Amino acid sequence: MYRQTRLLGVLLILQVVALVGFGAYLFFTIDWDRIMALANEGEITVPKSMEHQVEQAILFAIFFLPPAVLLLLAGFGFLLLRRRGWLLASVAQGLTLLACLFYYPDPRPGFTYPIIAYCILMVLYLNSQGVRVVFHSKGMTPVSRGPETTRGG
Amino acid sequence: MADEVSLDARNPETLLRRFEPVVRFTKGEWFYPMDTQPYVRACSLWVSHPDEEAVCVVPAGHLALERLAQQPEDSADAVHYLKIPPPKEGGKRRFWARLLRRRGHDGPDWPRETFRAGRGRLARVGYVSRLADALFSLTLLARGRVPGGDVEGARVLYGRLMEREEHYGYHGRVVRQDGWIVLQYWLFYAFNDWRSNFFGANDHEADWEKVFVYLSESESGEMRPEWVAYAAHEETGDDLRRRWDDPELEKIGEHPVVYVCAGSHASRYSPGEYLTELEFPLPRAIAAVRRVARSFWYKTLRQYSDEYSAEKPYELFTIPFVDYGRGDGLSVGPGQDREWDPPRLMMDPLPTWVSGYRGLWGLYARDPFEGEDAPAGPMYYRDKTISQEWYDPVGWAGLDKVPNRTEELGVILIRQAELETRCTRLRSEIQEKSARLKALGTEAEATRDRSHLRKLHESQKRQIKELSREVETLRADLSNDEVLHESLEEHAERLRSGERPPARAHIAHAARPVSEAENRAGRMAQLWASISVAVVLLTLIGIFHYQRQHLLSALVFAIAVFAFVEASFRRRVTRFIGSVNIGLAMVGALVLLQHFFWQIIFLTVLSVGLYILWDNLREFGR
Repeated sequence: MYRQTRLLGVLLILQVVALVGFGAYLFFTIDWDRIMALANEGEITVPKSMEHQVEQAILFAIFFLPPAVLLLLAGFGFLLLRRRGWLLASVAQGLTLLACLFYYPDPRPGFTYPIIAYCILMVLYLNSQGVRVVFHSKGMTPVSRGPETTRGG
Repeated sequence: MADEVSLDARNPETLLRRFEPVVRFTKGEWFYPMDTQPYVRACSLWVSHPDEEAVCVVPAGHLALERLAQQPEDSADAVHYLKIPPPKEGGKRRFWARLLRRRGHDGPDWPRETFRAGRGRLARVGYVSRLADALFSLTLLARGRVPGGDVEGARVLYGRLMEREEHYGYHGRVVRQDGWIVLQYWLFYAFNDWRSNFFGANDHEADWEKVFVYLSESESGEMRPEWVAYAAHEETGDDLRRRWDDPELEKIGEHPVVYVCAGSHASRYSPGEYLTELEFPLPRAIAAVRRVARSFWYKTLRQYSDEYSAEKPYELFTIPFVDYGRGDGLSVGPGQDREWDPPRLMMDPLPTWVSGYRGLWGLYARDPFEGEDAPAGPMYYRDKTISQEWYDPVGWAGLDKVPNRTEELGVILIRQAELETRCTRLRSEIQEKSARLKALGTEAEATRDRSHLRKLHESQKRQIKELSREVETLRADLSNDEVLHESLEEHAERLRSGERPPARAHIAHAARPVSEAENRAGRMAQLWASISVAVVLLTLIGIFHYQRQHLLSALVFAIAVFAFVEASFRRRVTRFIGSVNIGLAMVGALVLLQHFFWQIIFLTVLSVGLYILWDNLREFGR
């Protein structure tokens, strides 16, 4: 039963690692030395291409940091607390997909496609019968009856 | 036709009284089961011909049960109907009283208890059903319907009768059919006020409901109750009946307990509030696509299906109505708040008001869906054909395929004897044909590779093929019959040891009251349910008017907000988030498909090829 939750935890943490990786790549491709040098020289404007890079990196952080935090919490929730975190994981997948699909207009940056593909698989896995049953199983409560009557034969 | 045989020593009235039901009503019910005589006396008789004004043929006060069968001015398309006299109180006050759902001060003090609706029905369903409900209400303006004052007329009539002297009665009939003795309890109500007083689907003057008890007679002549069937709306078949030992069937001594729903008078086995839904089937093509999609989603992709989505796959296309069968009001029956009067028998001889009067028992509203037209009597449908409940009460509850306890062992023995005879015949036939097949095989072997016997050999091969197929079929039949015989033997053994088959195995869709958890909803949720459709429509108009340049995103945002609000009120946030994610995943899949169409095709073909290669190599390596 808990094999599913452990697997989910690992997959979610892998997703966080991938998001952090994309973010790190975006930040490290920016020539920060040049920006600092321009700033020291008192330049107010930076070249257009560099401005676009910085903007993309900042927007990535804004859009993907909250879901990454949620994914991390959900991932550790699955690994440590077993049955906690389904809702967090679902909300995080939804937010990630929303950002990839609706914020980035055509042409989308290349990194969004693997994120979309991963999210689709995760949504299907989170919604699969095996996983949902683990998280949403509830006990049945019997209905009480009046004392003066009999039921059945 | 049920062979109505006199039950000799077993007096029908005694039998009826022995098993008569205990009927529990919802607090605030207006009309209780009554005798037909005082109702008919108070009504007038009318006849309606197509494209003509209806004519009163017997005025109120001049009618009696015995005269009902005369049906004056009859013709091919005539519809006879009874009509409750209108109340004499001032119309203006009645209008305001109706509007405020309060009865006027004139007339009898009836009913004596007030109904409390509790959670509104609209709070239990989604937007589309609410919209469908609003459209359904609008159709009432175009359809024929029972005028609002009629329920007041029925209240005054019934209230006066009850003020004079309270009576609670049923109409009884006992018939034998297919080894069963069927006790029929026909309950007559002066009015079905489900729409007017209980937010239901329809109103009509007069209401006939029924409860049947099915008895078997043991070899010693003892009467044994085995099944009961309660009528609920237009339902028929297996789902209607419960076995006497079913835990859902409540009994007080030998009296089954019936929970009658307020206004509609539908009969239920358990107390509670039932969500009755008018269903509008999808067009066949759309339904087929939907079925395939659901099968792919739930079976192939193994996606989660909760209780709600599994039970109500077509929830979008239904209109909800609540049947209040709470059982917290008056209880009528042996040892209860009120006792039954001696029953009015509908047998030995069959009264003419049952067999001779084919008209309606209340106003003919000319409703094309017939929901607002009064019902015909116990023996007939509205179209004047004989009702199944009357001529085939056993088939009506799906009992025609069920032997009673006295018969069942006998039925098994007869069937086993039939099977044994058949098996003997099959065995000898197989033996004979097998011998013929072997002979043909030997002949074909002898004629093989002989050029001058080529045609004969071909013919022999054809015969062998045909005969092989026949023998195969015979062997399959024999095998099936032997297995069936064995199963019957085991079944008989279980019955002999006193074991009974599962009591509820025959029920496909049991009507269940709404759970307490579903019933809990705050006033805000109910207020939202009442105003949501109007708010959604106004918002959509606002978006079309003011946000044309961002139409799509504004619509998506508004729909998302409304869906979230609704999900929060109905405590279905998890389900909502799951659905949103699935929607987003679908859009994502389309985006990927659009951008990487050829790559996806290439990868799919490559994967299939690699899989086949791996599979073949694995086989090669063994």
